[in-house]
Amino acid sequence: MDRGWYWKFGMIVAVTLGTLWFLVPTYYSLVVLDRAERNNIAVLEQRLPAWAPPAKYRLNLGLDLQGGIHMVMRVDTKTALQKRTERRGQQIATYVNDKKLGEVTADTDPERLELTLTAKDPATMDAIQKEVLATFTDFTQESRNGGTLVLKPDEGQVNRFRDEAVDQAMLVIRRRIDKWGVAEVDVRKLGTDSIQISLPGRSNPEQAKELVGTTAQLEFRMVDDTNPQVFAQMITQSPPPEESKITLVDDGGFPQLSSPNREALLAYAKDKAPEGRDVLTECVANPVKKNDCIAYRSFLVDKNVPLTGESLSGADASVSQMNEPEVNISFDPAGAREFEKLTEAGVGRRMAIVLDDNVHTAPNINEKIGGGRARITMGRAGSRSFEEWLGEAQTLALVLKAGALPAPVTVGEIRQVGATLGDELIKKGSLAAVVGLALVIVFMAIYYRKAGLIADVALLLNGLLILAGLAFFNATLTLPGIAGFVLTLGIAVDANVLINERIREELANGKSARAAVDQGYDRAFWTIFDAHVTTLIAGFILFFTGTGPVRGFATTLIVGLVASLFTSIVVTRVITTYFVHGRNAQSVSV
Amino acid sequence: MQILKHKTNIDFISKRKPALFISTLINLAIIVGIATVGFNFGVDFAGGTVVELKFNTPTTEEQVRERAQAGGLHDVTVQRVGPAEENSFLLRMGGVTQLTAENAESAKAAIQGLGETRSVYADMANGIVNFRSAQPMSAEAVKKAVEGAGIGVQEVRDLGANQGGNGFDYQVVASGMADKVFAALGTGMEKPDFEQRRVDYVGPQVGKQLRNRGVMALLYSMFAILIYVAFRFDFKFGPGALLAMLHDVIMVAGYYLVSQREFNLTSIAALLTIVGYSVNDTIVIYDRIREDMVKYKGKGLPEIINIAVNDTLGRTILTSGVTALSLIGLLIFGVGEIFDFAMAMLVGILVGTYSSVYIASPVVIWLGERAAQREAHSGAKQEPNAA
Repeated sequence: MDRGWYWKFGMIVAVTLGTLWFLVPTYYSLVVLDRAERNNIAVLEQRLPAWAPPAKYRLNLGLDLQGGIHMVMRVDTKTALQKRTERRGQQIATYVNDKKLGEVTADTDPERLELTLTAKDPATMDAIQKEVLATFTDFTQESRNGGTLVLKPDEGQVNRFRDEAVDQAMLVIRRRIDKWGVAEVDVRKLGTDSIQISLPGRSNPEQAKELVGTTAQLEFRMVDDTNPQVFAQMITQSPPPEESKITLVDDGGFPQLSSPNREALLAYAKDKAPEGRDVLTECVANPVKKNDCIAYRSFLVDKNVPLTGESLSGADASVSQMNEPEVNISFDPAGAREFEKLTEAGVGRRMAIVLDDNVHTAPNINEKIGGGRARITMGRAGSRSFEEWLGEAQTLALVLKAGALPAPVTVGEIRQVGATLGDELIKKGSLAAVVGLALVIVFMAIYYRKAGLIADVALLLNGLLILAGLAFFNATLTLPGIAGFVLTLGIAVDANVLINERIREELANGKSARAAVDQGYDRAFWTIFDAHVTTLIAGFILFFTGTGPVRGFATTLIVGLVASLFTSIVVTRVITTYFVHGRNAQSVSV
Repeated sequence: MQILKHKTNIDFISKRKPALFISTLINLAIIVGIATVGFNFGVDFAGGTVVELKFNTPTTEEQVRERAQAGGLHDVTVQRVGPAEENSFLLRMGGVTQLTAENAESAKAAIQGLGETRSVYADMANGIVNFRSAQPMSAEAVKKAVEGAGIGVQEVRDLGANQGGNGFDYQVVASGMADKVFAALGTGMEKPDFEQRRVDYVGPQVGKQLRNRGVMALLYSMFAILIYVAFRFDFKFGPGALLAMLHDVIMVAGYYLVSQREFNLTSIAALLTIVGYSVNDTIVIYDRIREDMVKYKGKGLPEIINIAVNDTLGRTILTSGVTALSLIGLLIFGVGEIFDFAMAMLVGILVGTYSSVYIASPVVIWLGERAAQREAHSGAKQEPNAA
């Protein structure tokens, strides 16, 4: 028994304890907590003992096991692109007109996305062509035939626009789901034009479809700041219920109601708003996780909606000469007139930019704005960095565009599993895993006796390691994942069989117990290593190409193989060495 | 305890030719079968809608079918899942949305009947009818008209005035097939007598994407494993491992073909796992062959391979047996695709064991022989098969 053995043994004990420790949040979330609270990380955090790992390190159940909706939305970038080309066409026509270069009409071919400019007087076309191509660099010339010029959107611009359309749609979907109050949703981009959404615990796909599938609604509404104390009065006149957690906050002279619960806040303020006013909410973003709202704040706005996203023709984030981020917006002619009227009457007031009933921002109107172009300056006050302000400006531009140039989204895929089916699957799945595991354990103990028991210990540790590993990577356990779990345990036992067979062979060749064990492990090592690496390759490729449940399977397979390498090569060897070397045994029970 | 009490001395290698012949025959038959009969593609790959319903009262497949037909659903397949007392059924439909080639025409006519339209075209893949009308329209009216034509409408989108000033754009989004199923089965009832357990709904383009990605994943992993094997062993071992992998994948695909069980994303996972597992088995034998090549320098490759295969036979049977043992639980309690996964794995383990003996090793001999012949031709005097 050399020193190295003690080190290794200590490491194994440490790994085992660490594994058990790491499974505490998983145990609490699946066994201790009620099912309704299973996905509520805040509740889990409260219930966990102080010594436990953070609640985020827990094993999630896949939608197939707990019930819920998995959706893939396809963003119709083509329609959005067509709309955009039309708008640009009108801008070009107006530009040509303003510059007194001549008179053109713009027409868009919806199928091929080409923009055709036709000049009233073909003779003016040369000058128009030159000027337009120099100014509107997001178009390239396709063909020219006398008085008609065919333009095509520039390829790079199209790609950028397509990305942007998906980002906009994602932003809108996040906001909407957030409004629905679903905990632990997952919204992510899938490929170039799809968005994947997971809604655990939800059961109505039609409602979900409706929620995320409708076009974004952008509105410009005047903020009512005539009575800054309106919310403070509300609270003194009829105090809100305790559980709604509504408080009054004041930063910057306009006291607002604030609550982590949007529904409660709206329900409380709804009938208490003055005549002709609506109470809307604004999201206070989580400083760490940008798309999470940690609280909602109230806003009092006019019921009347003078201007909507329909009138907006463009929005872009840029940096001003003062080196301040800003958002430039422009309106179509009718919108420009309305905007001028609105800003004239509202100098000194604030105008709320509202997307899907969420106040995104409420800039102050400094002066009457004519000509249909406005600038929202972001300022640089406070402790935030330039990048953060610029990011804010970009998000605002995205919000404006999402309402102005809506890219319709359609459902590409929906998978919904009812909660009762999920329960049934998890029951059957774990039963299947337990039966498979038990059979293997009994077989190994009978067939290899003591060595088999050692392999069984390693096998159990392996199972725990897989679960802890999945919890660590915040992976999701799916039904195929359970199958992967069982299979990986089968493969892990394979390694022990390889070693034990090798030891038997060496014993049959007349080697001493010690030599046979050492030789058996050394010889089997590379075989086991190769066998694991090849399956790992398949696992990684599955992981990178698969989606949803298949990815869950791949994760389980990968974690399982790594754990199996450790348990079959290190753990069993240390224990076997103890029995053979430490006890100085003359025989080995294989 | 020991499975093979005595050292076996079976002459595997002499039977390699008939074995290879039969394997090739079966493989070809499966490939032809895939090309002609085809897999029973699940909704993942074929696109379409699958709804799982659990009835509250005893119901037969026939009754469900009749009710669906009475409700106006004709191309639905109904399949019972689980034991009879559960009254659960899978209903499968080809379409994703209620928009089909025929009813798109009636939708167009209905829209055109509402007023002057500049253009109407249906986007079948997304279940949307796009149109541009001369005057602004009320979404309610459009919805009513299209529903009157027999198509469920999820939403009418007002895309606003066209910038060119030549009309107003709208989109009519048809509702999904699942709605239609619930409506059809619930006809004439105050409250549906079933519970909706699962809805799977994959658009045709998504299905195609998923299928392509699945096939690509298979090819990539085979290629990556091949490189690894070639790098770790020797180039002459590579082709044998690859052929054995292909053989096993085709055989497992054969399971899905013959049983006509649903071929979906989980099946792809099963095939990929088989790729990994198959090469696992092959590697163990290759390892031994390599070891024995050093040990028995004077012997010919076929003899060495025979010794290696015989020496590892007990182990080969055992490892396959243990892995199969772990699958038994899944085979007994596994539902739906998990049962198929376990079954496919079982087939894969069996053929994987066979292929590492009869495919992977003979190919090494064959390549060795060819190399020897070539060397003999070029006049180099060298001991054949020396590694």
